[in-house]
Amino acid sequence: MIEEGRALFLQIAESIEDQIVDGSLAEESQAPSTNELAAFYRINPATAAKGVSMLVEKGVLYKRRGIGMFVAPGSRDRVLETRRGVFSDRYLEPLLAEARRLGLGPDDLVALIRERADRTESAPAERSAP
Amino acid sequence: MSVAIEVQHLTKRYRQTVAVDDVSFSIEKDTIYGLLGRNGAGKTTVMSMLTAQNFATSGQIRVFGEHPYENARVLQRMCFVRESQKYPDDALPRHAFGTARLFFPNWDQALADRLVDEFQLPMKKTIKKLSRGQLSAVGVIIGLASRAEITFFDEPYLGLDAVARQIFYDRLIEDYSEHPRTIILSSHLIDEVANLLERVLVIDGGRIVLDERTDDIRDRAANIVGESRAVDAFVAGREVIHRESLGRVSSVTVLGTLSAEDHRQLSAAGLDVTPVSLQQLIVRTTQHAAESAPATTGEPADIDEGALR
Amino acid sequence: MSRTLNVVRMQLINRNTYIWIPLLVLAGAFVLSLALYAIIPSEGIKVGGGAQAPLWYFLVVGVQALTLTFPFSQAMGVTRREFFVGTYLTAAVTAGILAAVFVVGGLIENATDGWGLNGWIFYLDWIWQAGPLGAFVFYFLLAMLFFSAGFWSATIYKRFGALWLTAILLAIAVAFVGVLWIIGRANAWGPVFDWLGSQGSLGLALWSLVIIAVLAATSFVPLRRAVP
Repeated sequence: MIEEGRALFLQIAESIEDQIVDGSLAEESQAPSTNELAAFYRINPATAAKGVSMLVEKGVLYKRRGIGMFVAPGSRDRVLETRRGVFSDRYLEPLLAEARRLGLGPDDLVALIRERADRTESAPAERSAP
Repeated sequence: MSVAIEVQHLTKRYRQTVAVDDVSFSIEKDTIYGLLGRNGAGKTTVMSMLTAQNFATSGQIRVFGEHPYENARVLQRMCFVRESQKYPDDALPRHAFGTARLFFPNWDQALADRLVDEFQLPMKKTIKKLSRGQLSAVGVIIGLASRAEITFFDEPYLGLDAVARQIFYDRLIEDYSEHPRTIILSSHLIDEVANLLERVLVIDGGRIVLDERTDDIRDRAANIVGESRAVDAFVAGREVIHRESLGRVSSVTVLGTLSAEDHRQLSAAGLDVTPVSLQQLIVRTTQHAAESAPATTGEPADIDEGALR
Repeated sequence: MSRTLNVVRMQLINRNTYIWIPLLVLAGAFVLSLALYAIIPSEGIKVGGGAQAPLWYFLVVGVQALTLTFPFSQAMGVTRREFFVGTYLTAAVTAGILAAVFVVGGLIENATDGWGLNGWIFYLDWIWQAGPLGAFVFYFLLAMLFFSAGFWSATIYKRFGALWLTAILLAIAVAFVGVLWIIGRANAWGPVFDWLGSQGSLGLALWSLVIIAVLAATSFVPLRRAVP
């Protein structure tokens, strides 16, 4: 879960955003507290706090005085938008590079993607083994 | 943020060897520090001097603005149980905890009792008959339950099995969350504790070689792996701190955070980037520093930093 | 002050050192002495040195007071001064108890005419010259003297090491022999013994207070720089 070589607080923030995106953390619901995050991930509470404040700054979370941090309305869409922007850099760039190495052009790639997408959709939803 | 400990030009000389060499740093309040380094690097000597158990040859130490020597007011706010701590001959664990309770104003007996249970510490055996792990548990319990404003943990997990170590880390995080204080964790095992540390102080050959926030250095190095010529082409002009080769494949550790452009170049060149753990970063940086610097005074690796007689 | 008292409590963790072994030594010496007196077929006065044993043991107490507890006291954040005062206080208390036992023993011994055997362990005339109080002070200071010697040796050893301790002890022995030689040369043995006799047991005990003070002072100074 925790990766080497990347700032921890960023990973904490991302993990919360992941939960917002996949719906397990609904808008206006309470986000895990700093202490809960620290205990769960076994990290320094200050690091967890840093991740949380970053999300507050981004407007993904907001603070309700005396209660805690809550997911801001509209944050899901905002996070999705940012992620789509990063998608090309993060996933497409390496994909294209690897494809090039294997002698596959963009059209070949599109065909492969289509084929794989169809296969996934037609097959009954399987539980992917860990 | 206010400063709990201030150290200026601290030096400790033992006849021929220099155990601590012109060390300066400050420790901020309510932060978890890692005091990292190899065995014999000077960690225990530094901690001994900060708690007035050992004496500096030169330099200044200020704890809460005062010098700790013979200063009960300051000493009772610190807790340092060393890795090779000696206990009174007939002492049972409850005697050690009972005494700690007398001297540490914030002592929490409920926490101590809970930890005794979790570590399964045998309370009927004298401390000198305990196993290495149980002895460490005694030290850990005193350190945690003392709730001292500055707590040192000196290689606290020696002899503790994996389960006990997790208990320690978990209780440490939990108690620190509820009762923030300054914690200094000395360790030669970096990766296990890396995620607990907010700041790291790396000491090597008696000198401070790194004094940074953990988050700042986590991405400071990267491993570039791939076909040797391509790797060399990419790392040209960058600071290389480690190099390994197997046949035509090389793995090179470079210092410096990689930009998005760098990542693009790497993908294009068919090179892989693998992350460098905090331990690898520190080990390779200190090795690199040792290789580039000329050999100085003899390694104080065989000095028994703690007990002398 | 309370921290110093806590040092006393910390020292008393060492039950064996401060309580059981002294009791054992005393009990053993007592039983052995009585047994010997019972065996000797004599109606005359029998005097033995059995009472000495626990007093000599205070030498060991002094050594262990430092070696067993000093490192732990440092971990507890106790200053060297607090440790010194608290440890001497502990010694005084236990020496006081021992002296009290001796005095009570002496009183009983006197009342039973030497345990019915005319055997004397505690009530030695020259010690009881100044009465039970005088005897108490004598035994107390003697125990403290032995304690101080042990504590002093352990501190010198801790601070300077075995070599220096040996050298210093040798120097003291040489100085002592030197004094004896000077007295001999000046043919002054007569006056010296006269003077010693005139002091009485109480007087000698009070003089030992001087030695105790010197030992205490010369252990405190190196203690201030001792490393646990």
